[in-house]
Amino acid sequence: MAFQKNTQPKNKVYIGSKAFDVFLILFMLVLSIIFIYPFLNVVATSLSSNRMITTHQVTFFPKELMLDGYRMLLKEQDILGAYWNTIVIALGTAAISLVLTSMLAYVMMIPEFVLRKPLAVFLLITMFFSGGTVPTYLLIQNLGLYDTYWALILPNAVSAYNVFVYRAFYKGISTEIREAARIDGAGEFKILSMIYVPLSKALYATFGLMAVVGVWNSYYDALLYIREPARQPIQMLLRKIVFISGVTDKMESTMMMTNGQLNALNVKYACVVATIGPILLVYPFVQKYFAQGMQVGAVKG
Amino acid sequence: MLFFLEETRENLYFCDVHIKKVLKRKGEESMAKKAKAATAPVPVGNKKNFWQMLWKQRTLLLMAALPVAMVVIFKYVPIYGVLIAFKNFKAARGVWGSDWLDPFWKNFQTFFKNVNSGQIIWNTLKVGTLTLLFTFPAPIAFAILLNELRGNVYKRVVQTVSYIPHFISVVVICSMLNGFGSTTGLFNDVREMLGMARVDMNNGSTYFLLMYIGSAVWQGVGWGSIIYLSALSNVDTSLYDVANIDGANRWQKIKNIVWPTIMPTTTVLLIMNVGNVLNSDYTKILLMQNDTNRSQLEVIGTFVYKQGIEGGRFSYATAVNLFVSIICFILVFGANMITRKMNPENSLW
Repeated sequence: MAFQKNTQPKNKVYIGSKAFDVFLILFMLVLSIIFIYPFLNVVATSLSSNRMITTHQVTFFPKELMLDGYRMLLKEQDILGAYWNTIVIALGTAAISLVLTSMLAYVMMIPEFVLRKPLAVFLLITMFFSGGTVPTYLLIQNLGLYDTYWALILPNAVSAYNVFVYRAFYKGISTEIREAARIDGAGEFKILSMIYVPLSKALYATFGLMAVVGVWNSYYDALLYIREPARQPIQMLLRKIVFISGVTDKMESTMMMTNGQLNALNVKYACVVATIGPILLVYPFVQKYFAQGMQVGAVKG
Repeated sequence: MLFFLEETRENLYFCDVHIKKVLKRKGEESMAKKAKAATAPVPVGNKKNFWQMLWKQRTLLLMAALPVAMVVIFKYVPIYGVLIAFKNFKAARGVWGSDWLDPFWKNFQTFFKNVNSGQIIWNTLKVGTLTLLFTFPAPIAFAILLNELRGNVYKRVVQTVSYIPHFISVVVICSMLNGFGSTTGLFNDVREMLGMARVDMNNGSTYFLLMYIGSAVWQGVGWGSIIYLSALSNVDTSLYDVANIDGANRWQKIKNIVWPTIMPTTTVLLIMNVGNVLNSDYTKILLMQNDTNRSQLEVIGTFVYKQGIEGGRFSYATAVNLFVSIICFILVFGANMITRKMNPENSLW
């Protein structure tokens, strides 16, 4: 930035500006700690002994390292089942949503398609009007999707916003390629799958990841549509452990807690770590895509 | 049925930008069409052409069929289902077969006669307004400060770190708040450091707003700043050169260069957010409620969930939901009207 090269030394503006810079660097450092510290504290507490937790000595690092919280989580809670449910729902949503959205966006991108404009209006309406909780709930019940994975996958498969972003992205691909493929005798399905999809890898990476993270993080749909405990996703398990029954519905944890070997926070925070762990592990690799995704939307939307 | 709720703030912003562009494009297209119509001979048998074209494009139609069917089923059928707000819904008879209420606005009447509804509306307004008041300016301030920060590597690190809380789910946030607010938790460690006594912050509703809004700011400040930073990356750098020659200080540069650049974005986002005032994050409040604070924390979203899903009063819950979304629509409309009066080019429509 040009204003960084202020060449007039020792004047008042210059000194004030330097002081502001120093202040800003420190301020941002403090903010960064505020963003990170809660996570460190959760991890540290989940691994610390009951004695250290109750005497408030846990801060950044675990004290008197102990893995019982995680052991109880694995032994007494169906965490692996919850992971499995979440992964099935997340991958299902991502796959179905990518396929369906691509098809609709491709059709709407073709300028000579006669129903292009009515379709755009048809989608825009869904952006501003929605049925709300109860009518959607009744629909899911009437369709017989209640208490199945489909109830969490299908309603989110096609969103108008995604279709518009896909379409904008496809528009950036030169139409000559499509014309050439058509002259060579390729059908529409072939053009989409052999030309447009391979050329839009960045788009699919971003939206696939967004779908997976979105499903991973949602609990409300499962609260509405899933009753069977064996089909609950990970967020519902966390909700159960922290807010509903605690860990006191299980024998061994209860005994250990009365003995003072285990703190309730051990198991609760262990489940928090198990829930955010996968997200935080992939975060450094995917955050670039997300920020790009925001910008794709901003520029091309 | 007017629902501004489900979309996130940024999505709404983008779709707005999109709509503007579509409208603009439409304008251009219609102009071009007029020009064409003036010169080209009038086509004969236009209607037949349409069907011929449609038949030619049947592959495309086939391709669009499944996604369109999904939208019809999962988006339009629930909109039609809103009719049950005016009906005495019986599952066996369906939406259409159920009898109309007499009078058809009876559910709305019931809601306003309910002694608790005043409290519920007040809670919703309070939570929504206070949240907006704090979560809206925070990303702007953060973006401006980041923009002033020297050192690109450091800046990128701070940015990356600031996004992390955005990816944390509402259940995790509430679990963390629950743990931190407990007597052995982080918040109480901080309180002790500041010389205050340890209290169970999850008990009662005293600390609810503080935790609810604080965590919302914590989660949203970094992610929300992206949009302002991308607006700022388009600033004409020669403006800074000119400002330097004029001897402007940092504050003057912020006021006269940075702020005007992000002003349009700010206005659009503010309008969208005003519409969301009544849509407090009920999925979060639902988790933060417990036996000691339930009556004080009830908002419209949680009320709809409890009446509709838990209580099975489908028609009544739908009516309450409908009422809120109408208010939301009016709020957005009003906010936009005011903006248009004050500053026409920043308004949405």
